[in-house]
Amino acid sequence: MSHYATPMMEVPDMIVESGGRTLDLCFQCGTCSGTCPWNLVRDFRVRDILTRAQLGLEGYEGEDLWMCATCNACVDRCPQGVEIVDLVRTIRMLIAETGAAPKTLRAVLGSVQSNGNPWSGDRNARMAWVKDQPVRTFDGTHEYAYFTCCTQAYDPRNAKVVRAAVRVLDAGGVSYGFVGGSEACCGDAVRKTGAETNFQNLAAHNVGLLNGLGVKHLLVPSPHCLNTFRKEYPELGGKWQVTHVVELLADLVMSGRLALKNAVPLKTIYHDPCYLGRNNGIYDAPRDVLRAVPGLELMEFGHTREEAVCCGGGGGRLWMETPVEERFAVLKLREAQARGADAVVTACPYCISMFEDAKTALGLDQLQVLDVVEVVAAAL
Amino acid sequence: MSNAFEPRIVVLCCNWCTYAGADLAGTSRMKYAPNVRLVRVMCSGRIDPAFVLRAFQDGADGVLIAGCHPGDCHYINGNLKTMRRYPALETMVQQFGIEPHRLRLEWISAAEGDRFVEVVNEMTEQVRALGPLAWKQRSAVADLSGSPHAG
Amino acid sequence: MEPRIGVFVCHCGTNIAGVVDVNRVVEAAARWPDVVHAVEYKFMCSDPGQGLVKDAIVKHDLSRVVVAACSPRMHEPTFRKACAMAGLNPYLFEMANIREHCSWVHEDKEAATLKAIDIVRAAVAKARLLEPLQTRFVPVTQKVLVVGGGVAGIQAALDIANAGTKVVMVERAQSIGGHMAQLDKTFPTLDCSACILTPKMVQVAQHPNIELMTYSEVESVDGFVGNFTVKIRRKARYVDEAVCTACGVCIEKCPKKVPSEFDEGMMPRKAIYRSFPQAVPGRPVIDKESCTYFKNGKCKICEIFCEPKAIRWDDQDQVVEEKVGAILVATGMGLIDPHGLSQWGYGRYPNVLTGLEFERLNNATGPTGGRIVLKDGSTPKSVAILHCIGSRDRNHKEYCSRVCCMYALKFAHLIKEKTHATVYNFYIDMRCFGKGYEEFYNRLLHEGVKFVRGKAAFVTDQAANDDEKGKLVVSAESTTLGEVLRVPVDMVILASAVAPQKDAEAVARQFGMGLSPDGFFMEKHPKLEPFSTATDGVFLAGACQSPKDIPDTVAHGAAAASTALSLISRGTVEVESATAEVLTDFCSGCKVCQDVCPYGAISFHEDTKLAEVNASVCKGCGTCVATCPSGAIVGRHFNDRQILAQIDAAFLWE
Ligand SMILES: Cc1cc2nc3c(=O)[nH]c(=O)nc-3n(C[C@H](O)[C@H](O)[C@H](O)COP(=O)(O)OP(=O)(O)OC[C@H]3O[C@@H](n4cnc5c(N)ncnc54)[C@H](O)[C@@H]3O)c2cc1C
Ligand code: SF4
Ligand code: SF4
Ligand code: SF4
Ligand code: SF4
Ligand code: FES
Repeated sequence: MSHYATPMMEVPDMIVESGGRTLDLCFQCGTCSGTCPWNLVRDFRVRDILTRAQLGLEGYEGEDLWMCATCNACVDRCPQGVEIVDLVRTIRMLIAETGAAPKTLRAVLGSVQSNGNPWSGDRNARMAWVKDQPVRTFDGTHEYAYFTCCTQAYDPRNAKVVRAAVRVLDAGGVSYGFVGGSEACCGDAVRKTGAETNFQNLAAHNVGLLNGLGVKHLLVPSPHCLNTFRKEYPELGGKWQVTHVVELLADLVMSGRLALKNAVPLKTIYHDPCYLGRNNGIYDAPRDVLRAVPGLELMEFGHTREEAVCCGGGGGRLWMETPVEERFAVLKLREAQARGADAVVTACPYCISMFEDAKTALGLDQLQVLDVVEVVAAAL
Repeated sequence: MSNAFEPRIVVLCCNWCTYAGADLAGTSRMKYAPNVRLVRVMCSGRIDPAFVLRAFQDGADGVLIAGCHPGDCHYINGNLKTMRRYPALETMVQQFGIEPHRLRLEWISAAEGDRFVEVVNEMTEQVRALGPLAWKQRSAVADLSGSPHAG
Repeated sequence: MEPRIGVFVCHCGTNIAGVVDVNRVVEAAARWPDVVHAVEYKFMCSDPGQGLVKDAIVKHDLSRVVVAACSPRMHEPTFRKACAMAGLNPYLFEMANIREHCSWVHEDKEAATLKAIDIVRAAVAKARLLEPLQTRFVPVTQKVLVVGGGVAGIQAALDIANAGTKVVMVERAQSIGGHMAQLDKTFPTLDCSACILTPKMVQVAQHPNIELMTYSEVESVDGFVGNFTVKIRRKARYVDEAVCTACGVCIEKCPKKVPSEFDEGMMPRKAIYRSFPQAVPGRPVIDKESCTYFKNGKCKICEIFCEPKAIRWDDQDQVVEEKVGAILVATGMGLIDPHGLSQWGYGRYPNVLTGLEFERLNNATGPTGGRIVLKDGSTPKSVAILHCIGSRDRNHKEYCSRVCCMYALKFAHLIKEKTHATVYNFYIDMRCFGKGYEEFYNRLLHEGVKFVRGKAAFVTDQAANDDEKGKLVVSAESTTLGEVLRVPVDMVILASAVAPQKDAEAVARQFGMGLSPDGFFMEKHPKLEPFSTATDGVFLAGACQSPKDIPDTVAHGAAAASTALSLISRGTVEVESATAEVLTDFCSGCKVCQDVCPYGAISFHEDTKLAEVNASVCKGCGTCVATCPSGAIVGRHFNDRQILAQIDAAFLWE
């Protein structure tokens, strides 16, 4: 058999037609591959996917396509303005249409379809996390409507975070109410896996629901909700102001409306969630809040802020298996430990899940994984 | 051609910046709505309010006045005069019942071919949305825009 | 008498005819009143095209000519000249722009053709009302101002001065020489930069036709082509140039040290200083901001040691006025602020240098006397040179800086020669296009320099293994291999982008130039007139127009000089004929026009209570025309009737 490869222009044409307009801008400098955190643990070169896709050469549609954690590190650095993550999403979409998406994903998307959440949670049990804690439901008079992330609603570990949020927001005198259980997943990660139809269904449901409730200002605990509500929902009819909980906390703490009295004597190290930091430029708010906590010490990872290494949970990776030694979260916990931290603090339900899993895998019982909200609750 | 409404927009612009910006849009082969006709004067300072009224009176659905950015006028500060004259012109045009979006003032430099394209496209769509200008008082102001002297 | 109008529609090859149906335009034009002749032709601006116009003027007794082709900013002068040659007053010509404003910007052929017809109709409407104007000439001042004393300005100044024309050269820094003076060797021949530049610098200083003003800046520019008046601020030097012998004792004795701009801040200079040892002029200046005496009234050590007694504490800035016929701007380039390049370690790791810092490091007069060493004084065993840092990058500068590939090769050679270190080049594309450049690249391959085809993604000091400990690690994908590399090195040199000079905008404004989208000064035509600007009589030379290497800079400087000289030796220039005129019958004596004229061209006669426009000062902007409440001012060639006729004809209204 000959070794010549022949371009198939149908491939790039289809990608461009499906919205991947920046595909042809790539001039193969390799900055993206060189920037990608996957190099820390294995071979994965997104440039290879792009170059193959540009020419319609086999290989762009292989297993590697599902590796990208959509951390956006490469997009920030690409000299040509190539929307790499969006291209990965578009190609995934085209491949998913042929039914070639990974098996684990298919199960998750099935749950999204039937339950409105990726966790196979009962649609009617979305508010079960409340337990016996009194909470308010959004009634149109509140300033903010709090949109619970699926991961907070159904994952017991993350449910603790939302319960802490209730205490903190109440202490700060915030006027808010919970959307109340009929919301569906925001769809950010769903869309990034290429499941466009699923995403559109979720979005249509949420837009109808929230507009019907008269929501003006959404308060979200997840940077993924933040990103999709801010950037993707407006053109689908969801034009609300969107605030992440840490932004509001920073506001409350800095303006003195929320007093942090209790000392929290922890050596913390802050992990920038990709969708909060790189994607939305929120770097200072969480750090300002942590620095205001009495007795708390704040450390930084070797690569932080714009250069922070992803937890590995974005773009659907949360739902896919990654060998322990290839998990970014594992590397980060090791680094945190080496730097002498007592707790890794972050502000994203996915990051919390990824870190908790890594912690279990490594058996690091002493190292805590906390959300900024939980730290603040402890300082009240 | 279809009978759909195509806005007619007169652009009064200076030679040095906006006209040159439109030239650059051309040399760069940018594409824009074919709904504008440019009338070139040497400086935006030359643009007499009467020209604007005359364009509306003739049947224009929109008028764009454009020149160099403040500080960049080829004649030092002709455009500052334009800027100063503009609010009164705007008020007058509105008093005639012409919607605000039909008259626009923009600074577009010789390097801003893309800006020219953007403004033309945007204004074309805005005026398209407003529909044809049914200006009741067309004849009533005829004398206003007439030239007082022979030359 | 009714005007007899001729209309000529150009195909411009397929540029116009490919989109606009030129035959329909001609057919339409032929039906309009007063149009007695309408034809189309492939290339109107060609000789036969112009001949068509000339012949028709005679044969059809045309009294107006309309050419529908490209922008009047391009070819109006061409056709005006053609008209004049056929005996028609050039101001009876009008141009319709159906290329830049029509065929090039529309795809819908029907809409474009209809628009083209409208454009030509409006031009005909104006042409009908055109009036002949007298062309006027004024003499050209026989002197040229050269702004900026880099190699571009130096070349231009010498060429002009050698032709016998006076030159005033204004340089902002203490010495002329520009960036080239900072370089050690120059690619691809590896001549020592100072050895080839300093003789030229000295020639400038000694040339009888050149008046050199360093430590000076242009303050204002007035006037127009052939007749500019420039004010130049000569900053106080506090050293009497007529008395100082340039012995340099003061410099040696001055106790006050500040970072040297010339040495990229890598070594100090004194408060009394010359930029570098071979500076021209060699006489130092006192930098008032840093001088101890000026700060707290004590010191004056330089004065004590100065034998000829040249120090002048009471020296003042002086503003001198010069009259020149042409201005040549050669203010050069800047460099990108490397602090925005933190992923490549600049400002974070001391052994990450910019290109210019390396030039100084490698230079015998630089901070280490030309030894290539790390910050701790040791010799690097490995060096990485990262190409395209800040160039070809939408996050920074989109353009190619045009010199980095070549200076990277030069650095690689010099490092090899001096240290035997392993040298890696990380590149996207090797751009070695000049004479002897590809050969130089080849030479470097022979010398064993390593090339990795992939842009460096980042530089870190965080070691992943023992080999990386204490090193700078460069990460890049070798895109040819499909392998992401981590390369530990001792030193990293960033081929950081060339940028427009920091105050490009202010300088452009001062000389009436525009800026291209990349921020460099805009030339009149990118191919045919890269050394002229939109302002007649103002020329461009060197890296201020776009990044250039020395050969291109010198060629550009010489070209700009010859263009300026052709203006100077022509002796006269045409001045604006389309000026304003007050119709005294209508003037109410309100004086409003006087206030709005940017040039003070309007005088008011108290005796007659009438305003008058001074035609030799008026530039024809027309602001007074639009302002006069009595409608008493006519703007020639753009009068109300002409403009209104054009508006009336802009569309087929009903
Ligand atoms: C690191 C590096 C290495 C290089 N190596 C090479 C090489 O080996 N070979 C080669 O061919 N090219 C090389 N180049 C390119 C070379 O430096 C340029 O081609 C050359 O300097 C351009 O000359 P210029 O006169 O146009 O501008 P500049 O050298 O920038 O000179 C401009 C002058 O104008 C003055 N000035 C600025 N503004 C004003 C003002 N408003 N009023 C008065 N004066 C003003 C400045 O002080 C300066 O003296 C290198 C460039 C870099 C950055
Ligand atoms: S960084 Fe951008 S241009 Fe470079 S290879 Fe990646 S996608 Fe292509
Ligand atoms: S988004 Fe992150 S994980 Fe995906 S290719 Fe880019 S750098 Fe790698
Ligand atoms: S007065 Fe002193 S500090 Fe100032 S230049 Fe002279 S020696 Fe230097
Ligand atoms: S046309 Fe312009 S320059 Fe001439 S007199 Fe009037 S305002 Fe002054
Ligand atoms: S020349 Fe453009 S506004 Fe005056």
